[in-house]
Order: sequence, then structure tokens, then C-alpha cells
Amino acid sequence: MSEYTPTVTGTGAKARVQKVGGYLAGMVMPNIGAFIAWGLITAIFIEVGWFPVDRIGGFGDYVATDAGVGLTGVGLVGPMIYYLLPLLIGYTGGRMVHGQRGGVVGAIATVGVIVGTGVPMFLGAMAMGPLTAWIVKKIDEFVQHRTKAGFEMLVDNFTAGIVGAAMAIAGLVAIGPIVDTIMGWAERGVGFLVDNSLLPLASLIIEPGKVLFLNNAINHGVLTPLGAAQSQADGKSILFMLETNPGPGLGILLAFMFFGPRLLRPSTPAAIVIHFFGGIHEIYFPYILMKPQLVAAAILGGAAGILTNIMTGSGLVASPAPGSIFAYMLMTPRGGHLAVLLGIAVAAAVSFVVAALLLGLGRKEPAEADDDGPAASEELEAARAEAAARKAASKGAVPAAGTAASPGPTA
Amino acid sequence: MTTIDGTTVKKLVVACDAGMGSSVMLASTVRKQLAKNGVTVEHTSVQEIPGDADVILTHAGLAERARGVAGGTPVVAFNLFLGDPAVTKVVTAIQKGQTIDV
Repeated sequence: MSEYTPTVTGTGAKARVQKVGGYLAGMVMPNIGAFIAWGLITAIFIEVGWFPVDRIGGFGDYVATDAGVGLTGVGLVGPMIYYLLPLLIGYTGGRMVHGQRGGVVGAIATVGVIVGTGVPMFLGAMAMGPLTAWIVKKIDEFVQHRTKAGFEMLVDNFTAGIVGAAMAIAGLVAIGPIVDTIMGWAERGVGFLVDNSLLPLASLIIEPGKVLFLNNAINHGVLTPLGAAQSQADGKSILFMLETNPGPGLGILLAFMFFGPRLLRPSTPAAIVIHFFGGIHEIYFPYILMKPQLVAAAILGGAAGILTNIMTGSGLVASPAPGSIFAYMLMTPRGGHLAVLLGIAVAAAVSFVVAALLLGLGRKEPAEADDDGPAASEELEAARAEAAARKAASKGAVPAAGTAASPGPTA
Repeated sequence: MTTIDGTTVKKLVVACDAGMGSSVMLASTVRKQLAKNGVTVEHTSVQEIPGDADVILTHAGLAERARGVAGGTPVVAFNLFLGDPAVTKVVTAIQKGQTIDV
């Protein structure tokens, strides 16, 4: 097997971090559709949206149905972010631990933390869902062999009901306020970083983390829950744009297209389409892993994008998932589109220039026998093998490497 | 070193971190290539790789986790999402019924 990915030191630790992060992201990602539904309704129907509708956006003083019944002044926006989204996360988190049963008790317990606080309780849901499911799982393991035949259903239903009820109360009384305090710290921390223009430093962690496949963990595990709370309060959040900005990846792919190793250039147009329009950022990670110094381009591009977004006061209504230009435009609040596009353009331009310089400098020194040497030669070898395989597979003039292998997304 | 006998592969699984993005893309590509070979191609997250998979494809950055889940099932790590030689090798082996070492 061609291993031209540089060996990352401490891969065991990396896998562990991926695993924990993947666990957090795994509670959020299956529910992104609900986040997007909420984001669309918010962007369009709230009082400052494109088409304000009071009974949908939930503002003003109205009666929800023509028949005169229903909740007054509620709309869809508030109930979705306060109840639906945390409940889905708590359910999914519980299900990951203990199947359907775990999901049910996770959702019950999540209601406790929701009611016990004044902010959207994503963090609490991510804690209560799996914790409650784990407790039920342990109880199930204990009582399973001790239950008399014919009493299984009775025991099962009541252990779930009792534990769920107890954890909901515990969430309301004890855990909700604790999580509320932690959320308060996190929000003040983010606020401090934004106010002092220190948020671009986040790119130092985010961009290398992305390339190590921690992208979902960082974005959906940490930033999406914090951003959703901020968006509910302010109508938008910059936190959705930290990891998802397609600019840095676009700049790097463009640099590869013009200045990269010749054998890799043909595959980049397809990669650009998949990255920028399809929003699958994973497509550019291998290009950085091949030339690890390019992570500097991603960091500087990301930081420049964040700085631009701070200066223009940009934010998105909900998480643009996947990080495609289309998702970005759909999740931009009314009046913010130019500023959001500027943030992407600046990030792409900076990462393109830095990546181009790094790729150009790399080529001026062909006889670099230091630590870059083996990686570079292996890369070439792999690219050659790839080219040979392509030639064998389809003898003929195929212009782009990617199009031969993947007709679907590029068409 | 594990061997893959192309003729015995009935289910190929592409795994990524979330099982929702890059794995779906690669799985749809491979599925088209193997449409005539009667091979089921699925995509999952690395945590949820099914036990009845015959071959697992995953990015090199996730291979360690995939091997932890996969048991004895061969895990083929690739680096490029488009036109990676390792992926091509597996696909060709299945199409032509060859045996390869991975």
C-alpha cells in the first residue's frame, strides 16, 4: 500500500481524540436536517427576515390558528430551537449508547435540562442523553437475568420510566443550572475573543484539526451548539463560519491547480467542484497531507476570513452543513450576503497566495534531502502509480483524473 | 498483510468519520464501477462498520479506528478521494476476480 501520508506522531492519541469528537458530532450530525429547517424558517419568517409572518416566525401578538385555538405568540422558531433540537440530540445520544430504549430515556432526561435553563440546551442534551441511556443499560444488565418469565415488559417499561423521570428531575434541579453556568462561561469566552479580535487565533487549532479528520468533531461537536445558542440570542453567529468557511480549501486547491505537482493538477478541478459547491471539505485534506507545510496556508486563510467576518460583523443563522457556498448563501441573514462572500473571498485569496508561494518555493529546491525528501518522492511514486492505473483503466484522452473515477459529482 | 479474493467479495463498505459526506461520495463512485459484479456497496461511519463486510475502504487518517472496529476484515486505506491507486486496485480485483494483497 502506498503510504505517502506523513506519519503523525502519537496516532493512538489522534484516534482517541477522533473517537471522542466523533461521538459528540455523532449526536448532532444525524439531526442537521432539523437545524437547517430551523435556520430556513428563522432566516425567512422572523420579524427582520425576508417575508415576516408572525404566526410562523413567532413575534407580535396573534392567535396561531383561525379557529382561535393554539399557543399565542409562539410560532415555530422558539419551540424548534428550545425543544425540538435538544430533544433530538438527547435522543440520538441515548440511542448511540443503548439503542431505542436509550434514545427514549435520553429524550426524557433532556426535557429536564431544557426546562431548567434559559438558553438552548445542546450541551446539556449531549450530557444527559448518553448518561441516562448508560444508567438504563447498566440496570438492564443487572435485572435481565433476575426477571421472571412474563415480567420482562413490565420491568423494562418501568425501569425506563422511573430512571427517565428521576433523571428529568435531576436535570431540572441540579444539572441544568450547572450546564447553564458552563454555557455562560463559554459564551463569555467567545465574546471576549470576538471583542478583542482574538478569534482568528482559533484557526491555529481548527485548520490543522480539520486535516486530521477532526472537522466534524470541532464543528458539530463544539461550534454548532455554541453558535445555535448565540444565534437564538443575536439572530446570527460567527461561530458557524469558523470551521465551515470553504475559502481556505478553495485557495489551496486553486494553488494546486496552477502550481502543484503536474501529475496532481488534472484532478483538482473536480476536487474544487466537490469542495466548494458540494461542501465536502474532506476532498482537500489529502492535498495538505501530501505537503504538510501547506497547513500554514489553511491557517492564514482561515484567520484572514475570520478577521474579515469580525470586521464586517458577519454571521450565519444556522450551521451551513455541509460547508458549501450554497449552504452559506441559504443560511446568511437578510442583508449579509456581500459581507459573507467577502469573508470567503479573502480567505481563499490569502490561502491561495500562501499555498502558491509554498508550492513554488518547494519546486525551486529539487534536491531537498531533509525530512521532506521521502514524503515527496513517495508522493510522486504514488501519483505515477495512479497515472499508470488510469492509463490502464481507460486508454484514451481523459482530460481530468477525477472525472475518470467519479463521473457523478463532477457532472 | 491480508489477501482479498475478488471473487468472494459480496459487500464492500466505505467508511468515513460521520458516514454522511466523503464516504457517500466514494461509495456512489465505486457502486457504479461494480454495478455488474453483484457487490453491495455501502457507506457508514467508522464506528458503525457492519460485521458482514468483506472489504472496508477508508481514508488513511481514519484507518486506525476502522481496524479497531473491523476485526479481521481487510481494511484498505486510501489517500485521495478521486482516483486513488489503492481503491482502483480493489475495484479491479473484484471486477476481474483477482486475488490481491493489501
